[in-house]
Amino acid sequence: MIAPFAHLYATGFGPWADGMARLFLEPTELLLVIGLVLLALQAGKTCCDRLPVLLPVAWSLGALIGLTLPSELLLALPCTALLGMVGLLVALDVRLRPVLLLPLAAALALLFALVAGSALAGHPGALAALLGETVAMAVVSTLLCQSLAPPHPRWRALGLRVGGSWITAAALLMLGWLVRHPQ
Amino acid sequence: MARTNWPWTLLACVALALAPMAAWAHADPHPGGGFVAGLLHPISGLDHVVAMVAVGLWGAVLDPPALWVLPVAFPMVMAFGGLLGLLGIPIPGVEIGIAASGLVMGLMVLFELKPPLWLAALIVAAFAVFHGHAHGAELPAGSNALLYSLAFVIATGLLHLLGILLGETRRWPGGRRFVQGAVGVVALIGLLFLEQALR
Repeated sequence: MIAPFAHLYATGFGPWADGMARLFLEPTELLLVIGLVLLALQAGKTCCDRLPVLLPVAWSLGALIGLTLPSELLLALPCTALLGMVGLLVALDVRLRPVLLLPLAAALALLFALVAGSALAGHPGALAALLGETVAMAVVSTLLCQSLAPPHPRWRALGLRVGGSWITAAALLMLGWLVRHPQ
Repeated sequence: MARTNWPWTLLACVALALAPMAAWAHADPHPGGGFVAGLLHPISGLDHVVAMVAVGLWGAVLDPPALWVLPVAFPMVMAFGGLLGLLGIPIPGVEIGIAASGLVMGLMVLFELKPPLWLAALIVAAFAVFHGHAHGAELPAGSNALLYSLAFVIATGLLHLLGILLGETRRWPGGRRFVQGAVGVVALIGLLFLEQALR
C-alpha cells in the first residue's frame, strides 16, 4: 500500500508467480479479501457462492483500467478507511443482503485494483502479475467461502466477528500512522 | 448442511499465517516495522501482558455475553486509543491508567465481582484506551505499518484468549483456587507498576 505497492516481490518463478505472491505479501489487499469473505460468510450462502466469482472479475477489471492510468493513484488513506469499514461491518455482525453486499464488494475490489494497477503500470510483466494475483484471489476466496460456508456454530460466528474487529483495529492504527507519516 | 473441509481450512490458515512473515522478510528493511515486531511488541511489556490476560480472565468470570463482547470490542477501542496516540492527542495519566488496569481487573477477578455489563465494558474500554494510546505513540516508522498493527492486535487478542482459557479452568476441580492465585499475581504486578508510575 505504501512502498510495497511500487514493486513486485521477486519469487524467481516469473511475473505470474510474483503476482500470486503479491496477494499474500500485500496486507491491504489480503485484508480486503479476508474482510469481504467474512462479510459474505455472515450474509449467507448466496453471497458465499457468488463472491469468489465476483471478486476476481471486479479485481481484474479494475487492475486493467489501473494499468492505463498515467500516474499512480495515492489513495492509501481512503482505502484504509474503507478497509476499516468492512471490518466494522463484520465485527458488528451487520448481515447485508446480497443486493447490497455484492455491489459493495465489487466496488471495493475495483477501487483497490485501480490503485494496484496504477502502481504497477510501466512495470515489466505487470499484466501477468496482476492476472496471477487475480487467480490467487479467486483461489483464496473460494477456499475460505466454501470451507467456512454457513450455517455457523456459535464459536465460529464469534470468530468471524473477532476477525472483523482485528481488521478494523489494524486499519484504525494504520490511519493514524498515515496521518503521522504522510505519503 | 455445508460440509466443512478442515484440512483445507487448516492449510489456508497456515498459509495466511506464514505469508506476512515472508512479507516482513522481503519488503521492509526497517527492523521496527513488520509482522514479527508487531507480534512481539505487546508481550515485551509485562504491564501490558498482565492487563490483557486479566481482561480475558475477567471476561471468563463474567460469563456470556461479556465473554464474547470483550474480544470483539476491546481491539477496536484499544486501536482508537492508538489512533489518538498517533495523532498526538494527549491523554493525562496514561502510565498510571495502564498500571492501574492490572491491579483493578486483578482485584475484580479475585473477588469475582460481577458489575452490570455496561459498567464492566466502560471500565475495560477506559483501560483499553490507555493501553492503545501508549502503544500507538510507539508505532514505528516503516513501510509495513499495517502488518505491524495487525500483528500487534492479534498478539493482544491471543493474550485475551489465554486469559479466557485460564478463566475457564474454574470449571475443573481446584480450578477456582488456581484462577485466584493467578489473578493474585496479576494484581500484585499491577500494584508494583502503579507504585512505579506514581513515583
